[in-house]
Amino acid sequence: MTASRMPEAPEAARTPEAPEALPHGRLPRTVWSQALRDNRRALAGWTAGTALAGAMYASFYPQIGGSMGDLTRSFPEGLRQAFHMEDLSSAAGYLGSTPFGLVVPLLALFHGAAAGARAVAGDEESGYLDLLLAHPVGRVRLVLQRYAALATGSAAVAGGVLLMMLAVRGPADLGGIPVTAFAAQCLNLALFGAFFGALALCIGCFVGRRGTVFGATAAVGVLSYAANALGPLVGLGWTRRFSAFHYYIGGDPLRNGFQWAHAGVLAAVCAVLVLLGAWAFRRRDIGV
Amino acid sequence: MDKAIQLERLAKTYGRRRGLVDLTLDVGRGEVFGFLGPNGAGKSTTIRLLLDLIRPSGGRAVVLGLDPRRDAVELHRRTGYLAGDFTVDGRQTVRECLAFLAALRGGVPERRVTALAERLGLELAPRIRSLSKGNRQKLGLVQAFMHEPELLVLDEPTSGLDPLVQQVFLDLVREARAEGRTVFMSSHVMSEVQAVADRVAIIREGRLVTVDTVSSLRERAVRTVELHFDGPAPAGEFEGLPGVTDVVAEGPRLRCRIAGSPDALVKAAARHTVTGLLCEEPDLEELFFAYYRNGGGDDRVTDA
Ligand SMILES: Nc1ncnc2c1ncn2[C@@H]1O[C@H](COP(=O)(O)OP(=O)(O)OP(=O)(O)O)[C@@H](O)[C@H]1O
Ligand SMILES: [Mg+2]
Repeated sequence: MTASRMPEAPEAARTPEAPEALPHGRLPRTVWSQALRDNRRALAGWTAGTALAGAMYASFYPQIGGSMGDLTRSFPEGLRQAFHMEDLSSAAGYLGSTPFGLVVPLLALFHGAAAGARAVAGDEESGYLDLLLAHPVGRVRLVLQRYAALATGSAAVAGGVLLMMLAVRGPADLGGIPVTAFAAQCLNLALFGAFFGALALCIGCFVGRRGTVFGATAAVGVLSYAANALGPLVGLGWTRRFSAFHYYIGGDPLRNGFQWAHAGVLAAVCAVLVLLGAWAFRRRDIGV
Repeated sequence: MDKAIQLERLAKTYGRRRGLVDLTLDVGRGEVFGFLGPNGAGKSTTIRLLLDLIRPSGGRAVVLGLDPRRDAVELHRRTGYLAGDFTVDGRQTVRECLAFLAALRGGVPERRVTALAERLGLELAPRIRSLSKGNRQKLGLVQAFMHEPELLVLDEPTSGLDPLVQQVFLDLVREARAEGRTVFMSSHVMSEVQAVADRVAIIREGRLVTVDTVSSLRERAVRTVELHFDGPAPAGEFEGLPGVTDVVAEGPRLRCRIAGSPDALVKAAARHTVTGLLCEEPDLEELFFAYYRNGGGDDRVTDA
């Protein structure tokens, strides 16, 4: 995390009283940097937890990979596809199943949903936004900077996972997966978390109730998982297209490297959600 | 522009609930304006409308010559705000919080911040989560005053403050006025407003009850008068005099309440030998409650 070294805020540079002005030194000065700073402990926890969960699964590969591969070969094709278990004996196939197919993205999803619910709705309910919005910070700017902090956090979580994977790559016999493939998967992971963050932020910009926002976002997460994994099982292959999970792992980045189209879709949807949220937030009453 | 705040039939409904009904009010530049009312009267609603935190359902507000909605950022730059339930992120330290808020305003001289904190007795090092309610309120005051804004909008600024700090606060308000800045403050407590305000508005159930200067409110206030006679008090002669109510006689002593001119009372008393006269300085608190009870200004006297 880079929360403690912040770029100069443009307004600080304009200040005539800069030499004796608060804050000095390395204190953060923008809504973005302050949000990162306030959340630094939580973010460190999410990053470490997600990376460790990934590492734990990865380290089982040498023992489990081969035998699970034999076992699941007898499962029906559809089931194996649904749970990304087509090819558990290869490193990419194993990692694409439970670790990167379920556990790690689920953690990223909840990180995004929790951070997104807090970014607007949570601080609105607590009354903190009253204070910030009575300062010369436009509502749109607040939403954008808060989202930038959230996206930075999501990138930190994915970055932590990537570093951890590169660290265990050798010991866990994962050398068959190129570094760029890990990077591709983790890029998608960052965007995947950022998507659920954007969704939560957007809902929060409309309703401003943290519990509602978190619940709704988590529900969309579960439905997305179902649409991607289970839809095709019951002959509804088209449902995948509406699932964030599909854009996250459908292109199998661990095998095929960067999937720019899928990453682009996730990024574009994030942008749309955030702008939609900012638009709604500008129009409504705060804290009623 | 000699008006700091101009409200024209400003109204707010929350769904079907009443918030504020057709409030028309002017506050001049450099004025200290008290905004009084009981719980749920609509004080916070008005204040949050001024700052564009909520939007009116009718009427309009012009603050420092600006439209709160269109020119929100400019208005906020020139305004200091203390919310009724001042909340900050408890994970920050006091210093960090003030530094952040100062940065949002493009920087504030550190000297001024530390001087304010010192006057109010606020420590800068502790984490906000660990502060008592009063100390949190001090932080709220520091952030509202630290950039020396043209307009201070303070929602129940003294809640939670001990009497000594309340005095410091009143000094800060007086200094702000001396520097030509405008202060709009809400309160339930008449006495603190009485001490600094030039004018006072009283609202109740979302409606303006009265606006007046503190001194003329005082003139209209109900006073308690005590007269001592050399014989038994002639209570009968005082009952029914214009403006006189609650006549109680106890031996040679007569107590009553008088609203408006004491002329009739004095003339009635002059027919007897008066050995003592006590007139209590009217407390606006009393007036305030009189307004609450009767729900109106001028019919108060006849109702009572
Ligand atoms: N978010 C809201 N939703 C619904 N009604 C509200 C809301 N906020 C305020 N009200 C209603 O508007 C009225 C005025 O409330 P307001 O908070 O402005 O009162 P107040 O004068 O600040 O009271 P207090 O002295 O208790 O702070 C109240 O009747 C209240 O119930
Ligand atoms: Mg209030």
